[in-house]
Amino acid sequence: MKLSLTINGDPYRENVESTQTLLGVLRDDIGLTGTKWGCLTGDCGSCTVLVDGRTVVSCLQLAAQVDGSTIITVEGLAGRGRTMSDLQDAFVRHGAAQCGFCTPGMLVAAEQLIRDGIEADEKAIREGLSGNLCRCTGYNKIIDAVVEIAATRG
Amino acid sequence: MTAAPVAAPAAEVFRPADVAEAVRFLADHPGAVPIAGGTDVMIDRRLGRLSTGWLVDISHLDTGGIVRDGDDLTIGATTTIRSIETSRELADTAPALVEAARVLGSVQIRNMATLGGNLCHATPSAEMPPPLLVFGSSAALAGPSGERSIDLADLATGPGTTSLAPGEMLVSVTAAVPDGIGSCYIRQTIRWAMDLAGAGVAASVETDGDTVTALRVGLGAVSPIPMLVPGLDDIAVGHVLDPDVLAEAAARARDACSPISDARGTADYRRHVVAVLTARAIRIAAARARGTWPIDRLAPPNGFDPEVLPGRENGPVR
Repeated sequence: MKLSLTINGDPYRENVESTQTLLGVLRDDIGLTGTKWGCLTGDCGSCTVLVDGRTVVSCLQLAAQVDGSTIITVEGLAGRGRTMSDLQDAFVRHGAAQCGFCTPGMLVAAEQLIRDGIEADEKAIREGLSGNLCRCTGYNKIIDAVVEIAATRG
Repeated sequence: MTAAPVAAPAAEVFRPADVAEAVRFLADHPGAVPIAGGTDVMIDRRLGRLSTGWLVDISHLDTGGIVRDGDDLTIGATTTIRSIETSRELADTAPALVEAARVLGSVQIRNMATLGGNLCHATPSAEMPPPLLVFGSSAALAGPSGERSIDLADLATGPGTTSLAPGEMLVSVTAAVPDGIGSCYIRQTIRWAMDLAGAGVAASVETDGDTVTALRVGLGAVSPIPMLVPGLDDIAVGHVLDPDVLAEAAARARDACSPISDARGTADYRRHVVAVLTARAIRIAAARARGTWPIDRLAPPNGFDPEVLPGRENGPVR
């Protein structure tokens, strides 16, 4: 099927299998490999992207269902002409990435929590990020970074 | 590096324009499966539990959203769990539904998953049935020969099976939410997040002063299908909710359920937990009915809230 998507501000028209997942389209058809494939059953959150301003796990998202949607992946967080967003910068300063595999999903999920106005509260942010697993278990630094940006943007 | 996987081979997606076209297609294509949020269907396909030639995408169909009309609260089947979690209307009138929605999966899963999917996948531990059962809900079904309404208690027939006829789909659920009804949903889990309930308990209470006029308790994860505890009217209606009545209601819930032993706990433990959670859920629902529960305060996921409800029967699960 023909699929029209706006991804990180750019229009795409792709010819894809109708049962392809959004994750598969992003990585295989379009080559945006920042979004990671992990568990493929919606548990780990490493494939998190924004679809029309809502976080979804793209491994469970049928691409056919989001035809015409606006997608933001980790590659689109910085915005054009910038090297990193404030949140990405905070992740670096706090040492919030160890192996880095969960980082794209963490960044996208946290970015949307902050955009939705989450309080700069550790408990709320831990709950909000409970769908993103870090197998290095480096959660404290991730939470610190997100709390900082929730506070500075709030 | 392996290439990112496709969902499954040899399948296609049909996107109907409306409910009528969806049920016609489902009736004409035996084995076709409706897909909304996909958080169960896609996993079932990935794990080989579901093979089908056709997926019928109903995620974009308008099933009415969340509407209150008098005592009737109707929620469309394609309403996301996140919409239920964040609904101002539901927080005010039926907090049990909000408390069930907010513990389901993660934010990402709740953004995708729908009420209809949670009910029609018929997982015994599903979060949404117990609170809907305590509101005496009905389910509106659409099929190739028209619409019909059934008691929500008759929708699930066993783990993973429903009474939906071939070609039928769930369109909406209507709950009876009279003014002043208090409700609550709490559960026991091994982890606080991204976990299925070992036991889930919903309660609804209506009162006249301190006297109970109606009491319902719904259970999840402790029987093959979500269930209402029978016989509670006999012990509660016309009485004040004193410790004896609470203990008797908890005992009836414990005796009515039939949990299995699995990774989430032994049958004996789960029966014990059902009794503890039943007493907590009734107390919180009753406090809401009487207006003594703080507005906008959701119950902790396991209902243990000694700040608001002190007392031994609210104590930690032992």
